[in-house]
Amino acid sequence: MSFAKWTAGLMAGMSMLAIAAQADAGEVRVTVAEYSAKTAPYFADVKKEFEAANPGISVKFEVVPWDVLLQKLTTDITAGTNADLSIIGTRWLIDFVQQDVAEPLDSYIKPDFKDRFIDTFLSPSIMDGKTYGLPIAASARAMYYNKELFEKAGIANPPATWTELQEDARKIKALGSGTFGFGLQGKEIETDVYYYYAMWSYGTEILNKDGTSGLSTPGALEAAKLYKSMIDEGLTEPGVTSNSREDVQNLFKQGKVGMMITAPFLSNQIKEEAPNLKYGVAAIPAGPTGARGTYGVTDSIIMFKNSKNKDEAWKLLDFLFTTEQRAKFTQGEGFLPVNKEEAKMDYYVNNADLAAFTALLPDARFAPVIPGWEEVAQITSDAMQKIYLGGDPEAGLKDAAAKANAVLKK
Amino acid sequence: MQNRFLPYLLTLPSLFLAAVVIFWPVWDLIQISTHEVNRFGQLREFNDFANFAALTADPDFMAALWRTGQWTLMVVGGALLLSIPVAMILNTDFYGRGIARVIIMLPWAVSLTMTAVVWRWALSGESGMLNSALIGLGLIDHNIQWLASAETAFPMQVLIGILVTVPFTTTIFLGGLSSIPDDLYEAAALEGATPLQQFREITFPLLKPFINIAIVLNTIYVFNSFPIIWVMTQGGPANSTDILVTHLYKLAFRIGKLGEASAVSLVMFAILLVFTMIYVRLAMREQRA
Repeated sequence: MSFAKWTAGLMAGMSMLAIAAQADAGEVRVTVAEYSAKTAPYFADVKKEFEAANPGISVKFEVVPWDVLLQKLTTDITAGTNADLSIIGTRWLIDFVQQDVAEPLDSYIKPDFKDRFIDTFLSPSIMDGKTYGLPIAASARAMYYNKELFEKAGIANPPATWTELQEDARKIKALGSGTFGFGLQGKEIETDVYYYYAMWSYGTEILNKDGTSGLSTPGALEAAKLYKSMIDEGLTEPGVTSNSREDVQNLFKQGKVGMMITAPFLSNQIKEEAPNLKYGVAAIPAGPTGARGTYGVTDSIIMFKNSKNKDEAWKLLDFLFTTEQRAKFTQGEGFLPVNKEEAKMDYYVNNADLAAFTALLPDARFAPVIPGWEEVAQITSDAMQKIYLGGDPEAGLKDAAAKANAVLKK
Repeated sequence: MQNRFLPYLLTLPSLFLAAVVIFWPVWDLIQISTHEVNRFGQLREFNDFANFAALTADPDFMAALWRTGQWTLMVVGGALLLSIPVAMILNTDFYGRGIARVIIMLPWAVSLTMTAVVWRWALSGESGMLNSALIGLGLIDHNIQWLASAETAFPMQVLIGILVTVPFTTTIFLGGLSSIPDDLYEAAALEGATPLQQFREITFPLLKPFINIAIVLNTIYVFNSFPIIWVMTQGGPANSTDILVTHLYKLAFRIGKLGEASAVSLVMFAILLVFTMIYVRLAMREQRA
């Protein structure tokens, strides 16, 4: 009796395996990152709509928490069990291209498809003239300012330049009672980026045209001196090197900080945690020549070279990047539009916060796509922390540039 | 005949277990640390111990190595010095001893990461509990930025390290103290020995084997302890509170240098192995004499 049950179970299992193997033929597997609680329901809807419109193709989404995504992809690729498509951080793309696991998409991309994208967001996924990924999520940074503190200090408009920012910070500091002019991040993720905002305004790029580190240029020194002078003058919050981005955001939400630079998601947080805070979003201040820069981040969706269902996978990509689908995804997650038609929608045009971010996009810089980038970023963060703690900017930057160049040469 | 092989046969299962959980990962580490590896963890060619050479040339590694020594010595030493009197007090009979014991043990029940997160908040410069308490008591007149520089952050991390090491150490000592027969103290008191003499001549010598165990186990735990430093400062600012584990974590998972990170962990393994062997040998010789 029990033996018969076993055999029956085994047979059932094997027949299911056979069915699964058959279904594999028209199945597109996609690994997607879980950005929020809205991610999985969105992709469940995509599956329904896409499969209804494309009989014969079935789609399987694997929703993975962002923190373990790279680790999962690494294991899958090593074992050869990776999906057909996957979302990745665009800064990882170079590894995927160098290890020859990403498929160039150029043979599928028609001019009208390419024309759907805002160039700024598509270009980071292009390497050696080939398009290896499509930007599925995009974000940028802008300056938040506390309107109430500005009013009290008698400041009419957000500062347009760093010089104006310093003056405004002095006025806010003069209000006393534990208010700080400029929130300066000095700890953990994106500490280096917070410094680039000033550096870009002084006309220096992360990498010089010859591929060496920009940290030894005069612009980099001016920017470091600017931040250091603001710390010395007490225009920032005290203990800069103990404040991560979240710490500074919390000070901003508490109404203690006059200005800070961060991502669109702070608007959503303020709506929930400090709904009475009166704030505005403005451009990142410009330098003496009018130059300015913001930090742009994209995630790309890529196709794997070993995929057996490339045509079907492309149909799904085509579907994902229609205006309607893009709008649904971007608005749910609070990202920026990557699609030209989408950006013209009322939702974006009439949203003052988002408008400030999109207006900055022409000045957006992305993390350079080079091997060893994470190490260069770490070197820069360490150097800035030393300077914020009272170190000499010139010596610190020279040392960091030498270290960064050693990494870049490899 | 049977008797001679039986002991080996009986240790075989645990030897096998040890092989799976210890020898195999160590072998893997040796492989990774002596080869070039790519970001996806795939081995390339043998590279003449270049990963180890890179470590000795790295001032951050040498600083972390030195700091790990300080960290281990101060936390283990501090916990020992604090635990002996605490255990002796808890060993005496007094009203509410049960509650006192629970309070001492409580930090042990909370996960180390949670303790560190709570302390990170408590030490926050502008909205931290510690600063408002100190200002309320009139001890300071402006906020101290505890985690902003190593001068204040590292001593605080050592203090927290001691705090979370005390419960375990106290437990060991309480066990040791309860094994000392009371009549020894009665006889000593009859002979007119002062409490200090009783401690020096009875308590301390009889507690010594337990102190040795506490030193070895605590050194291994503290040397490898990651959460306190990582959660509070991530080894920063500018690597100034890094110990070997946090340095290793950054090398492997931030920068993607798996080869060098494996070399660091082998160095750590070797240091602990040598320390334990020397210490156990010294302690045992002392006991035999």
